[in-house]
Amino acid sequence: MTQQNVTTSESDDDSSTASPEPGSGIASNGTAEAETTTTRSVIESRNLDVYYGEERALQEIDIEIPAEKVTAIIGPSGCGKSTFLRCINRMNDLVDSARVEGELLFEGKNVYDADVDPVALRRRIGMVFQAPNPFPKSIYDNVAYGLRVQDDTENLDERVETALRRAALWDEVNDRLDESALDLSGGQQQRLCIARAIAPDPDVLLMDEPASALDPVATSQIEDLIEELAQDYTVVIVTHNMQQAARISDKTAVFLTGGELVEFDDTSVVFENPEHQRVEDYITGKFG
Amino acid sequence: MARQNYQDKLDELREDVLYMSEVVLERLRMALDALERKDKEMANEVIDGDDEINQMYLDLEQDCIDLLALQQPVASDLRFIAATFKIITDLERVGDLATNIGEYTFRATKDVFPEVDVQEIGTVTLDMVEEAMDAYDREDTDLCRDIAAADDDLDQLCERASEIVVRDLIERELETTDEEDVEDLLQDVSRLLLTIRDLERVGDHAVNISARTLYMVENDDELIY
Repeated sequence: MTQQNVTTSESDDDSSTASPEPGSGIASNGTAEAETTTTRSVIESRNLDVYYGEERALQEIDIEIPAEKVTAIIGPSGCGKSTFLRCINRMNDLVDSARVEGELLFEGKNVYDADVDPVALRRRIGMVFQAPNPFPKSIYDNVAYGLRVQDDTENLDERVETALRRAALWDEVNDRLDESALDLSGGQQQRLCIARAIAPDPDVLLMDEPASALDPVATSQIEDLIEELAQDYTVVIVTHNMQQAARISDKTAVFLTGGELVEFDDTSVVFENPEHQRVEDYITGKFG
Repeated sequence: MARQNYQDKLDELREDVLYMSEVVLERLRMALDALERKDKEMANEVIDGDDEINQMYLDLEQDCIDLLALQQPVASDLRFIAATFKIITDLERVGDLATNIGEYTFRATKDVFPEVDVQEIGTVTLDMVEEAMDAYDREDTDLCRDIAAADDDLDQLCERASEIVVRDLIERELETTDEEDVEDLLQDVSRLLLTIRDLERVGDHAVNISARTLYMVENDDELIY
């Protein structure tokens, strides 16, 4: 994926000053051929804390997630990365003991304001989960589901086709749209779930380990798809697979134990020259 | 510590590269000794030993590829392997240059320009490579910068030596017109100029090693070209 010069965090300022000599791109910090453009942030958290009962799962998270890029969230188990992802479209509302403090802004509006309808919010911020979870309905009905729920059925056939094409599944299923989604392979089911998530044309796509249950071929299809989707959507992906984060993301956020966001920078910087020793230790496997 | 097997492999790679550098430096020392003493047996030993250095290079290259493919190194580990990948090429080239100097021993008939101290230049270059490998081993970035600065002095030393030879040739009135004598002189002069050039190139490789070491330690590419 093309590197870009995003200016959404303090550490970006450091990396954007790198001026490598011609031919020495090895230490370019990912900005060697960068366009000097400022990327708009679509999601921003300010001093965000999340508690499960008395236990603090996230500590004062400040982050600005750029629009139409892939942002990966990595970190060890229990570091709060999925918790953060679920804060973005208020999925944590479904957990009784969860309590959120601070601000989580989507397009400048705090999603935890009293006047925000979580269901409407989730139409604009779709989500794909770890295990493919198609409904026991036809392929067509799965993709159309979100639109029908919203009573938004104009040009339904066309929009189902568009979603399936964007999810790189159309060519494989266009002659059997009325067949059960459960008859698809695991990789196809996950792409169907992506089609279902993007059919209402959201702004943001949250993905929680979307390829962890898939074989390498299906995984690479999902990874290719994520890179393509980022041309139209803001993608935030939680992954345990650091190499996957390195392969597909523009920006990487590293959460470490205790629910702390330790580093957020261009992915090339995080994986070639991380700023923090704790991050270095984690990504090189010296952690613990 | 997690990934102990991986850490062991990284340590092993570093040790093997240092061993390769010791062999290469020894061959360069022998080549210079052979040249000074016109010791053809020692020169042959250097020339024959080049295959061993080439094989070390290929083995270490494979080790780097294996680590990249199987361990997916990142951050300082990635920079270490990337730097090592380049450094072993520089060491292999120093081995080739030692072989060149060994081969010149067979062509040298006499020291036609005693005022040109090839051994002095050789000692400077040996020290530079040794220090560059020391910097790599100890991750000493100050030493990397010192070596890069020292290369300017070496270049001047080599330039002065070449000037002495060329100026003398221009000004010299040949004592003989015998074709064989002229051919011998040509061989000696050409051998001397090539030796100076090769030693200057050894210094360049020492700088390359320092540059990659600086990148390895600090992600700083200031010395790369």
